[in-house]
Amino acid sequence: MRTKSTNRFITMTIIYILLIILAFVMLIPFVWMISASLKFNKDIFVIPYEWISKEPRWQNYLDIWTKIPLAKYALNTVKLTLIVTILQILTSSFAAYAFAKLQFKGRDLLFLAYIATIAVPWQVYMVPQFLFMRRLGLADTHLAIIILQAFSAFGVFLMRQFYEGIPDSLCEAARIDGMSEYGIYARIMLPLSKPALSTLTIFTFVNTWNDFLGPLIYLTTDSKKTLQIGIKMFISQYSAEYGLIMAASVLSLIPVLIVFMSLQKYFVAGITTGAVKG
Amino acid sequence: MKKRLISMLTGLTLLAASLAGCGEAAAPAPAAQAPAATEAPAKEEAPAAEAPAAEAPAAEEAPAADEPVTLKWALWDKDATVYYQPLIDGYTAAHPNVTIEMVDLGSTDYQTVLGTQLSGSDCDFDVVTIKDVPGLVTLANKNVLEPLDDLIAQDGIDLSVYSGITDQVRVSDKLYELPFRRDIWVLFYNKDVFDKAGVDYPTNDMTWEQYDELARKITDTTPGSEVYGAHYHTWRSTIQLDGILDGKHTIVDGTYDFTKPYYEMVLAQQKDGVCMDYATLKTQGLHYSAAFYQGNVGMLNMGSWFIPTVIAKIKDGENTGATNWGIVKYPHAEGVEPGSTLATITALAIPTSAPNKDAAWDFVKFVSGAEGAEIMAGTGNTPAMSNEAINSKIAEMDGFPTDANSKEALNASHAYLEMPANEKSSEIEQVLNEQHDNIMNEVSTVDEAIAAMNEGVQAILGQ
Amino acid sequence: MQSQSAQKRKIRQTLVAYSFIAPNFIGFAVFTLGPIIMAFLLAFAEWDGNNPLKFVGISNFTGLFTNDRFMASLKNTIVYSLFTVPFTLIVALGLAILLNQKIRARTFFRTVAFFPYVASLVAVAAVWNMLFTPAKGGLINQLLMNVLHMQPLKWAASPKTVMFTIVLFSIWKNMGYYMVIYLAGLQGISEDLYEAAALDGAGALQKFRYVTLPQLKPTTFFVTIMLTISCFKIYDIVYMLAGGSNGVVNKSATVLVYYIYEEAFRNWHLGSASAAALVLFAIVLIVTLIQFRGEKNYAND
Repeated sequence: MRTKSTNRFITMTIIYILLIILAFVMLIPFVWMISASLKFNKDIFVIPYEWISKEPRWQNYLDIWTKIPLAKYALNTVKLTLIVTILQILTSSFAAYAFAKLQFKGRDLLFLAYIATIAVPWQVYMVPQFLFMRRLGLADTHLAIIILQAFSAFGVFLMRQFYEGIPDSLCEAARIDGMSEYGIYARIMLPLSKPALSTLTIFTFVNTWNDFLGPLIYLTTDSKKTLQIGIKMFISQYSAEYGLIMAASVLSLIPVLIVFMSLQKYFVAGITTGAVKG
Repeated sequence: MKKRLISMLTGLTLLAASLAGCGEAAAPAPAAQAPAATEAPAKEEAPAAEAPAAEAPAAEEAPAADEPVTLKWALWDKDATVYYQPLIDGYTAAHPNVTIEMVDLGSTDYQTVLGTQLSGSDCDFDVVTIKDVPGLVTLANKNVLEPLDDLIAQDGIDLSVYSGITDQVRVSDKLYELPFRRDIWVLFYNKDVFDKAGVDYPTNDMTWEQYDELARKITDTTPGSEVYGAHYHTWRSTIQLDGILDGKHTIVDGTYDFTKPYYEMVLAQQKDGVCMDYATLKTQGLHYSAAFYQGNVGMLNMGSWFIPTVIAKIKDGENTGATNWGIVKYPHAEGVEPGSTLATITALAIPTSAPNKDAAWDFVKFVSGAEGAEIMAGTGNTPAMSNEAINSKIAEMDGFPTDANSKEALNASHAYLEMPANEKSSEIEQVLNEQHDNIMNEVSTVDEAIAAMNEGVQAILGQ
Repeated sequence: MQSQSAQKRKIRQTLVAYSFIAPNFIGFAVFTLGPIIMAFLLAFAEWDGNNPLKFVGISNFTGLFTNDRFMASLKNTIVYSLFTVPFTLIVALGLAILLNQKIRARTFFRTVAFFPYVASLVAVAAVWNMLFTPAKGGLINQLLMNVLHMQPLKWAASPKTVMFTIVLFSIWKNMGYYMVIYLAGLQGISEDLYEAAALDGAGALQKFRYVTLPQLKPTTFFVTIMLTISCFKIYDIVYMLAGGSNGVVNKSATVLVYYIYEEAFRNWHLGSASAAALVLFAIVLIVTLIQFRGEKNYAND
């Protein structure tokens, strides 16, 4: 017994040492961002780097709101991100159910078509897509960005893979009980797939939040632009205000972290155990 | 289910139709003879165009002076650029019926966004700003810009005020843009660095040898308190293009042996610690302005766009290391007249799809003309229409160095574009950039890289 | 009669299945699949976005395979993927298992691991370039010289080490992302299986070998494919690390999508860009099909 607990102690120590090294390596960029956000632009790329500025420039955090309409951009981004994330989760989890748990003609082919399109770089079909959207009168609208982001193949793929891991016997049992497919989806699959839904929410949120090229091409009216376009505005033709960029980036990171931290609690072992037994 | 299928099919058909439509609409425009003809079908097809379609063609035929017109002007850095609003105010004061709407496409990806927007024939921009020559050439090749030669002839515009620049941007012998801003390259220097070393300031008449000698004199390689005699930003232009200033070569020639002495000079400086190491500068991403403001750089070759920035950054307290500064003319090769320098231009063009072409042309004339030049100079920026009077106006700007040499440095005797128009500008630039990088990283010797440039560019030109 | 009703049921089943797929598929087909098909047609044409399209057969492809820069991009992309995919996968799985344990401050560590993925690329690249600077005074070079007694490396500035630097960077930046997917996957494994394994006298390693790994197969399938695809689509990292302050990406570092970007938006050769994308697509499709068959086999046993 004693050796076992000593072993455990050693293992835990090693684990914690690993984790602390990891945390250090992962956090450096964040510390750098904060430190750079409190500097004059000219001092940011100078070696040796001064991690703690002697005269922190808090002014940067005020300037970002007045130099560009950051609040408006943030609001637009929040709106777009929420709509896209909700649509993405609904349609993806819905479609994924069919791919994972239903038999129908052309299933594998259709699924392969979904995955395959992920492999096509956006840069290649961006021009035809833009011309098409503009013909539909969608250029310079938020709807265009929503459409572009909400129906991605990625979400379907992710959800389908997770549903694959849920035993077919669960669905069969429900079918025998006379439950419709829609019922099985809503009452059995959805509650079981919280970890996967959390993952998809996090990823979609991050992607839409940080998307730059899409909004840049489509949104030309000032009042419709997004946060990431706004941050890039600090890089002008002849100079780049990295102090301001980092101040805005630090702030724009906060919502992402909140979403991550509040959803990661669903990554808890054993959620599915009870249900599978039943 | 059926409904869904139908809507899906409709979508796909629409897509096919729209793409076919783009090809068609552009098809009858091999040259510029029939701009009106290409306009008309495009208009009819456009679903629910915001401006009533009937109004636009009418405006083209006979511009009524008092009819309200809104011009959409594509540009970058709307808020960071000081002269857009004054130019617009200047124009609308005389033309109260015109409203000008700025469309900011961002600076970093401007060409990508503009190229995408101008694809097809549905774009509603009236005036577009052209950022660089490769960008101009690709747009001209795409047939999305209106050639201006007829309009210029019709209105009797004198192109000689642009001191030869417009001849360097003709694409297939047509002029598609009128420049309104021209920046020339000068040598910035930090007077404090020279005073400390007890060395005389640079002058408006220096050969490259004298410049090299001067840079070495003020250099201090003591670790911890380095002073760099010269600084070269990582761009190809800062070194490679020194070679074209004798007027005997251009950068699209296909032979590049003339760049050798300049590369050898800078490589030797790099080795001796006279300038910072290219590899470090490139990966570290140190901006030339930050390097200059540190106060340990003696001389920096850079464009005149940097002048207003230096002044502004002294005022807001960021530039504390180079507050006592000046400019002189670019060094020159033996036997060449001083004042030969590099230039870049910013220009305006009119898309073939512009809804209000006549009004757009009137605005372009204003901005690129004498009135626009006055306004530009008033904001401390160098207009394309350059003469001594305008240059003196810039030199009067608050914060501009007060010595006579700095004022005189603005007068260029010859200005060569960093990249003259060539069908293959962007491909050529790619080859030259890559070899510049190889030389400066010391991956290839100067001779190897020049051989690669010659071979690569000749292959492109031979296509 | 019976077969008819069976058929009816089958049709009904198919319709139900389609109704599940429809909301996503219609949006996807019209706005993504359509333009993609159009882009693939472009691979056989010359088009600059405005002038009339001209069909040119396969000359875009023959042009690509005689182009040095394209061949260099292809080679770099494959080398990059070969190293990045397995290492990221292993590190991500390891991290996920580690952070699935009952440890203190788990939320903190999970968030921290996800960090480089969400932090701004500019910041992440700047820190990286500061540590891995080609100058002798850089932290990593100091370590190399003083601890390992090696020559300092020029990292992203040398054609010999630039790909290695990019691989290291992207493992570091992306492992948190795949860790999240694995974490989600781990929650799907029933405790019963571990209990059963424990009853059979399995140790930790054997549990991992016989329970965790096989149960994670759908997740690993997903991660492998997404990783392969994203490795083949890498471009911004290369631009940030190898492009540096003047944005010049040399032959030693250029990758497929960077090549596509240059062709499409600098030179406006949309046809040739599409052809390059088709090559990329073909490679990824082959990898996916191999994986797909592997997954089918798993489902059967």
